[in-house]
Amino acid sequence: MSTSSSGNQPTLIVEDLTVSYHRVPAIHHLSLRLGGGHCVGVFGPNGAGKSTLLKAVAGLLKAETGRILLGERDLAKAAPRLTYLPQRESVDWDFPVTVRGLVEMGRYPHVGLLCPFSERDKEAVTQSMELFDLLPLANRQIKELSGGQQQRAFLARAWAQEADLYLLDEPFAGLDRGNSGTLAKALQKLKELGKLILVSHHALAEAEALFDTAILLNGELIACGPTAEVLTPQNLECAYGTAIFSGGHRHTHA
Amino acid sequence: MSTLSHLLSLVTEPLGYTFIQRALLSCALIGFTNGFLGTFIILRRQALLADALSHSLLPGLAVAAILVGLSPGGLLLGGLVAALLVALGGQLMARNSRLKDETAIASLYIIAFALGIVLIRFAKVKVDLTHFLFGNILGVGNGDLWVSYAAAFLTITLLVLFQRPLLLTLFDATVARASGIKVGWIEAGLLTLTVLGLVASLQAVGVLLSLGLLILPAATAYLLTDSFTRMLWGGAFLGLISSVGGLFFSFYANIPSGPCIVLLLAILLGIAYLVAPRHGILPKLLRGRHFHEESLERWEGHQGHDHDVPQRKDEC
Repeated sequence: MSTSSSGNQPTLIVEDLTVSYHRVPAIHHLSLRLGGGHCVGVFGPNGAGKSTLLKAVAGLLKAETGRILLGERDLAKAAPRLTYLPQRESVDWDFPVTVRGLVEMGRYPHVGLLCPFSERDKEAVTQSMELFDLLPLANRQIKELSGGQQQRAFLARAWAQEADLYLLDEPFAGLDRGNSGTLAKALQKLKELGKLILVSHHALAEAEALFDTAILLNGELIACGPTAEVLTPQNLECAYGTAIFSGGHRHTHA
Repeated sequence: MSTLSHLLSLVTEPLGYTFIQRALLSCALIGFTNGFLGTFIILRRQALLADALSHSLLPGLAVAAILVGLSPGGLLLGGLVAALLVALGGQLMARNSRLKDETAIASLYIIAFALGIVLIRFAKVKVDLTHFLFGNILGVGNGDLWVSYAAAFLTITLLVLFQRPLLLTLFDATVARASGIKVGWIEAGLLTLTVLGLVASLQAVGVLLSLGLLILPAATAYLLTDSFTRMLWGGAFLGLISSVGGLFFSFYANIPSGPCIVLLLAILLGIAYLVAPRHGILPKLLRGRHFHEESLERWEGHQGHDHDVPQRKDEC
């Protein structure tokens, strides 16, 4: 597991995190530390807390114990520095917005309520569309894009937001091989630029090609580190061979 | 020449009356404001919630009529409180019981509506139920006009001021919350403005048709454009011209103004539904069968495609 963090690279610190639904902990006393420049796969069986972990880091769920820090700062105050990519089915693709409009949304946290876009904002929008090969598609309504292009448009919005931490919930679900390839390339690019990317992922095949670091969960943390060392048969047996905790015995958090 | 001056007098003649002037001004303001607000309601997919709220205004109006008579301020406050009670009550019921929120809100609003009809009988002043249900634009007084001014000013100012966080919330509330926007406040504010828009349009179109001014202009604009900004101002513009046009028509045809305005909006929606360049059904039908040549062409070259183009296998 990487603890190095140089310059303004983000370090995500999760300390003793518990998130529960109706007293059943989906994530139980989980601690980890991740540095920038890594593409991290979050693995585990259904119900192991993959989405819960991402949502908790995104500040969408309340931590029952523990805390989450980005760098030295509490995550709640670091909102513009992180970005959460929704699952594809939760997006209204008929929304009247073009690719450029979507990427411009990323600048909103920086420009305030009414200020017009400055040269720097416009530059950031154009630059992030360029980075994700979206310039030729700038004026397309978002429904007119392929699945992979749609994912890239959302990544470009996050880039325009100058986010350091990218949280992606099952982004590869439903993408064919070509689209998966372009998405993987885009994530690779972000990683090389020093960003920290957390991706929940359910398929174990090609895990090593996609992610340099892996987190294996089943409520509790089973392993976290270089992908090859985490996804060992032993660890996987431990993660997938253990029933998901669903609230059988007494366990309270004082 | 005489026909032209005759036509002109058709427009100018009613303008000589003060009550028509007031009605027109009020209609124009409300049409514009509610057309503008409509975009937010449609994109938030709350058209049916707005319908429920419009019905739940009635008991509030009745209670206001009982307590303070027909003063516009009292009616505004009464309607606002009643609709917000139904909206919040519905949420509360859904959270604490097995009932889903649309069942809870539908139950509450229809109960509120029935209660309103009963309560109106107890008003000290003589109230015609049909005025509340269908509006009475020609009865617009100076007080009503002030309500229109205030509603228009408040609504447009707030929506323009908070356009960016609103847009992020409408597009994806979860992502907006993760990027630090107070989504709960935004949603509550939008709900309050919706109720304000409904109450402000009571004189023009009444409880039962107030939804029309809120939904139809923006729905029409939604079919015509893929730009959020154009949808906003387009909806406002359509609301404005339909309200004014509908009022003139109602004056000459001697039909109540509410149905005239709503039917004029309906004609515009119908036209957009049929012939909107990209999203209308006729252009879609006329666009031909499918891109036959174009689909085959891509196997020849690599233009316009960002994935690896597979080799065409002629032998299979």
